[in-house]
Amino acid sequence: MADLPPPVQGPTAKEKKYDRQLRLWGATGQRALEESHILLINNGPGVVGLETLKNLVLPGVGNFTILDSAVVSEADLGVNFFLEEEHVGGSRAEHTCNLLKELNPDVEGYFVSEPVESFLTNPDSLKPYTLIIVAAPIRPELLARLSEHASASSIPLFYIHSVGFYSHFSIHLPPSFPIVDTHPDPETTSDLRLLRPWPELVQFAEEKTKDLDNMAPDDHGHVPYVCLLLYYLKGWKKSHSGQPPQNYKEKTAFRDLVKNSARTNSPGGGEENYDEAVAAVLKSLNPPEPSSAVKELFKDPECLLVKEGASAFWIIAHAVSLFYTKYGVLPLPGSVPDMKARSADYIELQNVYKSKARRDVTEVTESVRFLERSIKRSTQIEEKDIEAFCKNAAHIKLVRGRPFHVMNAGKTVQWGERAKALAQNLTFQDSLIPLYIAFLAYDTFTVSHEKDGLDNPPRTPGDTDTDADVEQVTGIAFKIADDLIKEAGASIEESEYSEMKTWVGEYVQELLRAGGSELHNIAALTGGLVSQEVIKVVTEQYVPVDNTCIFDGVKSKTSVIRV
Amino acid sequence: MLKIWSMKQKQQQDEAAATGGAKKKKVTAAQLRVQKDLSELSLGSTMKTNFPNPDDILNFTLTIEPDEGMYKGGRFIFDFKINQNFPHDPPKVKCTQKIYHPNIDLEGNVCLNILREDWKPVLNLNAVIVGLQFLFLEPNASDPLNKDAAEDLKANREGFKRNVRLSLGGGNVGKQTFDRVLK
Amino acid sequence: MDEATGTGLPNRPGAQRMRWKYLDNILTRHGPFTDPDWEPGEAAIEGLARAKLLGAGGLGCEILKNLALSGFQDIHVIDMDTIDVSNLNRQFLFRQADVGKYKAEVAAKFVEKRVKGVKITPYCGKIQDKDEEYYKQFAIIVCGLDSIEARRWINATLVGMVDDQDPDSMKPLIDGGTEGFKGQARVIFPTMTSCIECQLDMHAPRAAVPLCTLATIPRQPQHCIEWAHIIAWEEERKDITLDNDDPEHITWLYQKALTRAQEFNIPGVTYSMTQGVVKNIIPAIASTNAIVAASCCNEAFKLATSTNPFLGFPGTDNYMMYTGDESIYTYTFQHMKKSDCPVCGDDNIARPLQVDSDFTLQEFLDSLAERPEAQLKKPSIRSQEKSLYYQFPPDLREQTRPNLSKKLYELVQNGEEVVITDPAFPLTFKYKLVFK
Repeated sequence: MADLPPPVQGPTAKEKKYDRQLRLWGATGQRALEESHILLINNGPGVVGLETLKNLVLPGVGNFTILDSAVVSEADLGVNFFLEEEHVGGSRAEHTCNLLKELNPDVEGYFVSEPVESFLTNPDSLKPYTLIIVAAPIRPELLARLSEHASASSIPLFYIHSVGFYSHFSIHLPPSFPIVDTHPDPETTSDLRLLRPWPELVQFAEEKTKDLDNMAPDDHGHVPYVCLLLYYLKGWKKSHSGQPPQNYKEKTAFRDLVKNSARTNSPGGGEENYDEAVAAVLKSLNPPEPSSAVKELFKDPECLLVKEGASAFWIIAHAVSLFYTKYGVLPLPGSVPDMKARSADYIELQNVYKSKARRDVTEVTESVRFLERSIKRSTQIEEKDIEAFCKNAAHIKLVRGRPFHVMNAGKTVQWGERAKALAQNLTFQDSLIPLYIAFLAYDTFTVSHEKDGLDNPPRTPGDTDTDADVEQVTGIAFKIADDLIKEAGASIEESEYSEMKTWVGEYVQELLRAGGSELHNIAALTGGLVSQEVIKVVTEQYVPVDNTCIFDGVKSKTSVIRV
Repeated sequence: MLKIWSMKQKQQQDEAAATGGAKKKKVTAAQLRVQKDLSELSLGSTMKTNFPNPDDILNFTLTIEPDEGMYKGGRFIFDFKINQNFPHDPPKVKCTQKIYHPNIDLEGNVCLNILREDWKPVLNLNAVIVGLQFLFLEPNASDPLNKDAAEDLKANREGFKRNVRLSLGGGNVGKQTFDRVLK
Repeated sequence: MDEATGTGLPNRPGAQRMRWKYLDNILTRHGPFTDPDWEPGEAAIEGLARAKLLGAGGLGCEILKNLALSGFQDIHVIDMDTIDVSNLNRQFLFRQADVGKYKAEVAAKFVEKRVKGVKITPYCGKIQDKDEEYYKQFAIIVCGLDSIEARRWINATLVGMVDDQDPDSMKPLIDGGTEGFKGQARVIFPTMTSCIECQLDMHAPRAAVPLCTLATIPRQPQHCIEWAHIIAWEEERKDITLDNDDPEHITWLYQKALTRAQEFNIPGVTYSMTQGVVKNIIPAIASTNAIVAASCCNEAFKLATSTNPFLGFPGTDNYMMYTGDESIYTYTFQHMKKSDCPVCGDDNIARPLQVDSDFTLQEFLDSLAERPEAQLKKPSIRSQEKSLYYQFPPDLREQTRPNLSKKLYELVQNGEEVVITDPAFPLTFKYKLVFK
């Protein structure tokens, strides 16, 4: 043991407990989770919201609050895991909160047993929460008020249905919700710039391929494939008036050229580095174009004109767009995939990429600092944020959050710019838009069937007289579908139209069969989906649903649509 | 459930034979595959297998006696251990003797691509033994496990050959003493 | 209800069924997709109460909760593992104080206490410890196993159990698995629909790095760790069995890897990465486990109650693939059964064959050569336990040759399965030998 470095500090207790998730969202994601305070406004049987919270308490969300005025009933015990027999007759908010807290001593849990109506009368009541989850059913004017709050204070709002075998949730995110750390598939992220090499890379490749044909077999078999491709590209360009392979045909010809240059008299019968070079031709010989999403980002008014008070994201985006305008490429990400090479050569190659990436970051940082001064920003954007942006520039995602539909009796749904796309998909076999429409009709029914004029929850369709309710809700659903088709100005063939109506009718029927019940499995599954989306939104990592997800537990299918 | 069963009944041609006796253990997928692979082995005159327990076909040794190349005259014994996840997992193969070879380290680990990174379930045991045999005909200096042996081979092929002879006889190369593996 | 539902809440009569009010809406009403022959109501409710289910594996916590709250009342659970602190971020029935205890026991006790009336029987051990008799008692088997090997074992066992004469011998297998934000749920009707062996290509093999790279030209921090793990440990600590859970062992590997990385100027070796590489840690989170386990239990519920069509019905979708890192995406499809599947392929189902137990093995093989479907030339034959006769390789032939003159009853038991291969045929023949 004498040759070993001194003993290390092992992982902390917290790192041990959260090990399996830290490998996904890292310490920064975990910190964001721990700094959040989630409010659950629980209604109906109240299972899906609690199943969501369960999956947030376990990974260590900072705080949660349950707002629920229901009294625990016998029926709750058959569907809700976070209640026990002795709680019957007690506050559902209190008891579910206590049993959830048991899951993780690191989490603070609170409860409010007040009805939503009175809770919302205090204008400051929503202030402490960084994210709000509402489980249906809820009166539309209250949902509308929450939606206004979400818009006004940029707080993400989730609205969930879980009814029988079906579920749905919509997310209302701020109008500009950027994600830098999207965790793209590592296979798609390497950007080697073979068609736009910089002088240091050219020089490195030339050194490593010097007198390639006469190299000793061992050396020849260890030239990194990046250098091989640059070497053969140079030769190709000479005979193609300075142009690299342009199209598929030329690329395959170039690939053959590389393939045929490998030595075949080696003991293994081939050369791995050449195999790697051949395999990389088609995917690496593309000009480094940013994706259309990134180009659009650069054209965004918020990016074009950075105003006082602009967020760090837009300031960096502007600086990166300047970089792009100047060079025609994004800053270099700087990572190099593993490849057959001697250790020292590979490390050297890595450093060639890394130092170029660092230079690019430095240049972007200078622009950022200039912008900060010009808009008189009081604090400097952290270097690591600029670095992360540059590293992920090609995969950055900007979600344009928007309010979801809040059904109001007598008012038709406005589909706006989404009408065309949704109407087109309405008649697709696999589309779950008809189910979404059934949910909208379900909500509309509840609105128009208040049990009394007081604050009691509205009547659930299908709770007693299923057939009559089915007829009514189906009628509402057909009208919503017709309005959508009309608004989109779409023309739909008669046969497709009647097929779509059959689907809508069946969805309504199955939805009402439940009579407002939650099935535990569907609630648990939906709680899994919603908690996952909450984590993405809170950590600002991965790519969240934009903006509506529908689950069909009969067919076991999901569908994501933007409404 | 009953519906599905009746579908099965329809699907099935009537197998008249009656069943009897208690159900017994099934031959595992790994055993089945090894049995197939064994019948397709081409051992030639230079290789033979040994099954210490003939009922257990998942564990055996393979002896290779190269009849050409610089390892000619040696007798090399490899231990094959196949787990129940075969052929999803490759067989585990180790040389049981300490030998001087660029692609086999002093612990008996073997650097053969199809035993690790390039293993695919469609490959069979024959592919493995062909690969092993090849290592003795053409030791590969460019991707070594035993670096000293590889350097030796690269620097001076004749010198390397001499060292191989020495090692086969149980002699020393550098600081290492090797097992005597001559026939 | 009474004994059948078996829960008894004597002091609150009527409370028992009140509890299942929500579930009963579904159990007592027809839906647009239910089979016209299906009878809602009492029969459906009782069927649910009677069905005995088995849950197993890493998704066990979720599966037990979901099954108990789906109205199942007789649930068994198998798990060989003890609770580790790193389970607590998702396996919600376990607490810090439970670390080290058997998962199956703690989980069973917890759910029994929480959901009154459900009976959960734990077994702390491997699924491989149990035989066909054991698996025969269940209506459905729901598995969230974490290794391919265990999945293949339970799959082969259930396929092998199917007896054409006995409808009760076919046990639907519902399998779920997760990895980070991804997962899958699938339903298998052994011998009827595509099985886990047919679907083996859905599991990507673990990427491996050439040994020689580890030994001579490491480039990545992982290479240095693998080197410490595979090569350095054997060289220096051969006599100590490496225990992935012993911090001293991981620390040793970490330091070895770090030293090697420094030698080659490779940045990035950390303790956490060392653990990850050595233990082949797969990220796991509560949300994905919840999604996949609930999907499995939803299928189990539909299957047991006929309240709606389920995945796996022959000729329909049987597999749901789930990806949650970029928005939410599922792909639900029908994975086709493979006719040459080594487990459930038509040729791999053992057919009963009447034999004279007084035949010698030689006589038996000769008689096979005459059977029209076989016409074997150089057959090799084995049972699970014995190599009966091998034509090849030579030493195995020598060792098994004496069996040729033995009587069948000396070699196999009545009803035992044998497998016959012949280099002349790509097929294998499986027979269940039934003594005349």
